[in-house]
Amino acid sequence: MPDISPNAVIALIVEHQIVETDVPLTPESDLFASGLDSLAMMQLMLHLERQFGVRISPGEMTRNHFASATVLARWLSHPNRSAT
Amino acid sequence: MTLEADVIIAGGGSAGLAAALASARGGARTLLLERQTKLGGMGTNALVHTFCGLFHPDVSLPWAWLNAGIPVEIGQAMMERTGQSAPDLMGKVYVLRQHPSLYAQIADELCAAESNLTILTGSEWTDLHRDGNRWQLDIMTRGAKRQLKGKALVDTTGDATGARLLNPEWCQQTESARLYRPAYICAFHGMTGTHDDGWRLQIGAMIVRAIRDGKLPPEAMGAGFRDSPFAGETFLTVDLEAGQGEWDPFDPVKRARVEREGREVALALWSFLRAEHADFKNCPPPMLPTKAGIRETARYIGDYVITGDDLGLSRRFEDEVALAGWPMEKRENARGPKFRFFDEPKPGGIPARCLFRQDVPGLYFAGRCLSADHEALASLRVMGTCMATGEAAGKLAVDFASRC
Ligand SMILES: Cc1cc2nc3c(=O)[nH]c(=O)nc-3n(C[C@H](O)[C@H](O)[C@H](O)COP(=O)(O)OP(=O)(O)OC[C@H]3O[C@@H](n4cnc5c(N)ncnc54)[C@H](O)[C@@H]3O)c2cc1C
Repeated sequence: MPDISPNAVIALIVEHQIVETDVPLTPESDLFASGLDSLAMMQLMLHLERQFGVRISPGEMTRNHFASATVLARWLSHPNRSAT
Repeated sequence: MTLEADVIIAGGGSAGLAAALASARGGARTLLLERQTKLGGMGTNALVHTFCGLFHPDVSLPWAWLNAGIPVEIGQAMMERTGQSAPDLMGKVYVLRQHPSLYAQIADELCAAESNLTILTGSEWTDLHRDGNRWQLDIMTRGAKRQLKGKALVDTTGDATGARLLNPEWCQQTESARLYRPAYICAFHGMTGTHDDGWRLQIGAMIVRAIRDGKLPPEAMGAGFRDSPFAGETFLTVDLEAGQGEWDPFDPVKRARVEREGREVALALWSFLRAEHADFKNCPPPMLPTKAGIRETARYIGDYVITGDDLGLSRRFEDEVALAGWPMEKRENARGPKFRFFDEPKPGGIPARCLFRQDVPGLYFAGRCLSADHEALASLRVMGTCMATGEAAGKLAVDFASRC
């Protein structure tokens, strides 16, 4: 299982301009309040898969999993998450 | 053959429709010219299916109309015909779902009720001259040339056509790389299921997966779905990069490429989703729009150029003629909008000086080509606001014509 840190998730979001905010993102920032919408989530999913070699299935694309960088990183790194 | 009028409105989109109604109701003999054969502009021909800008921006309060007059008249007619009793609350804004076919019908009925108003459709405005104290427009209807003459002219073409025909110094255009991107909208019928945010995310994920697997073109990344007010119908919007820095809405080869790309992606998504997702199983090929949606082209430089900061600060003006309430929804790429909300949820004023230039008496402009900077346009271009600025420009034009 990949070990993904919240800061690596933030770096990815910033690098690919997935959300643009005046206030810098922190691991706890609410991503949806920062402008993450369904188009941006699609972008983010693509980049997470590319960068970290994870696979996110359509059924896993929920607001709960994408709530913040910390939540997202913890979920993606979880050993019980199916690797396909 | 020459047609004469007090006021000529060129372009029958949301702004032109409101301008023509205001002018005719103000007692002016009015001509409304449109190149397509439906009124409503992007709201009919490009299938743009929500009215933004109609409501007060403070969503902590119950919804309320922002600009009295024609925007309310059209908004209420749309609510009645679509069976909606209130707008939708989408995040930090109120929006009203609208149906393009019903918008065309409402426009027809409102115009038919005005005896001072003559509608000319299927006719392209091709040239502009000054003849004494009259505006003279050359128009072309299926190869037949005509002239229109009027005391006052309102340019609601969205493209600052008058300036580009007579004096390009009266208008400005953002550089290609930053122009808000075009999008392609089509309507799916025979859909089943309910389509909330969670559903949209799952469809989005399926699309990403299919792009990665080479089953869909990369352009499908810009796809989003929204249900119409009628069961079984869902609109697909695909934001297009359109060559990014190469995009030029005035280049017919690039226009053709965008239209083709839009159709290609829409139909690829249809085949894919029909095969892969139960809700699309019974969908016939989607109904395509008359044309792709073009968000930004050229706009006038009036006596005042309203800015993003004016709106951000909800600035008010002594000569304001309409209010803006929609956030600046910037779409400089196909990766989704970047919003700049007003600092406080209070409306901003739009001064009359954004609708004319003192040095060109009798010429007014409204809608998407009013005098605004690139950032302010991202708010002011929405249809509810276009109706309000159009109505204001129509009134100014009647007033001018009555003084000649
Ligand atoms: C993809 C997309 C999505 C959008 N989403 C929304 C949304 O959800 N809600 C919202 O409120 N707004 C939305 N907008 C913005 C809104 O649709 C437009 O900005 C608005 O329609 C502009 O109104 P208008 O009257 O200024 O111009 P238009 O609607 O463009 O109308 C201009 C009219 O002038 C005619 N015309 C132009 N040149 C000539 C000529 N030479 N001779 C004769 N006729 C001419 C055109 O045919 C057209 O009918 C969207 C726009 C796009 C492109």
